[in-house]
Amino acid sequence: MIAFENLEVRYPGAAAPALKGLSLALEEGIVGLLGPNGAGKSTLLKTLLGLLEPAGGSGTVLGVALGSPAAARLRGRIGYMPEYDALIEDATAYEQVAFWGELSGLAPEAARDRAHEVLYFVGLDEARYRAVSGYSTGMRQRVKLAQALVHSPELVFLDEPTNGLDPDGRRRMLDLVLKVHAELGTGVILASHLLGDVERVADQLVIMDQGRITASGSMAGLRKALSRRVELRFLDPLDEAQAAGLAELGELFEARNGTYDLELKEADPLAPFRWAQARGAVLVQATPRHDRLDEVLLRALHPEKA
Amino acid sequence: MPIYAPSLPPKPDLTLGRRPAVVLAAFDLRRVLRQKMGRFFGFVFTVMLLWRLGYVYLNYFKGQNATIGKMMDAAAPLLAQGAEWHADMLGGWLTYLLWFLVALIGGGLVARDTLYRVRPLIYAHPVKPTDYWLAKLGLTALVPFAILAPFALLPWLLSVGLTGLHGVMWASTPLRLVPAALIIALLMGSVASGASSLASTPRAGVAWVLGISLGLEALSGLLYGILDHGAWRALSPMSLAAEWPRLLCGAQGGAYGWGPALIGTAAHLVFWTLVLRARTRPSEAVL
Repeated sequence: MIAFENLEVRYPGAAAPALKGLSLALEEGIVGLLGPNGAGKSTLLKTLLGLLEPAGGSGTVLGVALGSPAAARLRGRIGYMPEYDALIEDATAYEQVAFWGELSGLAPEAARDRAHEVLYFVGLDEARYRAVSGYSTGMRQRVKLAQALVHSPELVFLDEPTNGLDPDGRRRMLDLVLKVHAELGTGVILASHLLGDVERVADQLVIMDQGRITASGSMAGLRKALSRRVELRFLDPLDEAQAAGLAELGELFEARNGTYDLELKEADPLAPFRWAQARGAVLVQATPRHDRLDEVLLRALHPEKA
Repeated sequence: MPIYAPSLPPKPDLTLGRRPAVVLAAFDLRRVLRQKMGRFFGFVFTVMLLWRLGYVYLNYFKGQNATIGKMMDAAAPLLAQGAEWHADMLGGWLTYLLWFLVALIGGGLVARDTLYRVRPLIYAHPVKPTDYWLAKLGLTALVPFAILAPFALLPWLLSVGLTGLHGVMWASTPLRLVPAALIIALLMGSVASGASSLASTPRAGVAWVLGISLGLEALSGLLYGILDHGAWRALSPMSLAAEWPRLLCGAQGGAYGWGPALIGTAAHLVFWTLVLRARTRPSEAVL
């Protein structure tokens, strides 16, 4: 879907590049793009949309080389849902979705038909003839999603799609994101600072910081790679010498009633059993503690603090 | 109750659409028509057009009826003909009102996109910067041209219809007034869309257009008064809009000649188009 090698992007007049030597290959699916403000997420989206030309490196989006003359036409194959409102307040949802469809290259009649269909798809069938100035936040987000989907893009960029939504609206929007991929077969790149959103829908994760990719991979693989926390339960509490010897295995976080929470030095699940056998302790259970995504993010961004 | 497919149908053809500049201009035109300014301005411009058509018909009527013709000889100054009269087809209150209308329409055209932050989303589609500024400039110029064109053509058509090519209107009138209408429309369009790109809200856009037009009119008048040289009047786009019909019709007593008019018009067109281009670049589009 997307691949780039040593991608470097520099804003005119800026001393340092905004994106520094990014290399990544993303497969079809829902990709979560995480990172703090200024990490380079928007710059990456701009570059992928062909609005910024790479200063170095190379890349392809949907098979089209970045910076090539065909990159402008590529935007017709991509849908973009911006973070901010970007709605034409004095127009109805139907009018503006049809307009965005035409701007993507649809014939006027096809754009009107698609506007009806896509607004129905996002659940705005009854309200589509009302001016969007009277819409709730959730409805506005759905109009933005509809305009991103009206031309049946192969890939859609969703920038903070759950911004300002209540828990129910959030759930519905994330369901829609899943539906977009499952029913329409559209690739999704979801940029969000809400870790729970990404955790729920994404099957690939890219974590960015200061213009670099600090971690990337499948959600499950990333967790596995970064997770070395285990909870060890011994038959009897360890004696002082044995407890002190746990330092050989890794860093001890908590000890309670024969249960020890520690981070292993090596991601080897058999290491605690070998250690227990050598020390004469009876290890009855070693449970990997699946890190929450915020812990994964924290590790990727600040390995020293994590 | 329409029946919809459970999910979206197969991918539509994206090669059948209109040019992005046309799509943008057509959508803006629908928004302009929704502003409901048409009734007032439509009435005023129609009255003005009927007044001019009445002149043409009265001249014809005078020639047809000897009795009334004698009576109307007394009113000859009122029924003045010649270059001045031809130039006035596009002059006087018509252009002043048109400046006001263009300020109301064009002032908000770019500023509205800025206010609603629509421009970044436009550039996230297969739209080039040229498409964007051409659409805005084109529509802002199209409105005054669509209003001026009947003033340039209908009196001439009436005259030709009544008395042939030797009537009260010159045979060459369209060749003089249509280019004048085009230049005026481009001048108004470039000033209005350029000024609109400087504003962050439609109201501020209207204020910018009126401020620039009236401000330069006052400044040019001041410089003309102090330095006693007519060329300074070419600083004002309002003055230029009034000058072009006179120049093209060969009327005497214009404020200045061809040189200042050409330089002033070219300077305004280039400057305001560059402002519009610079203020609506994709790099300004913060996603």
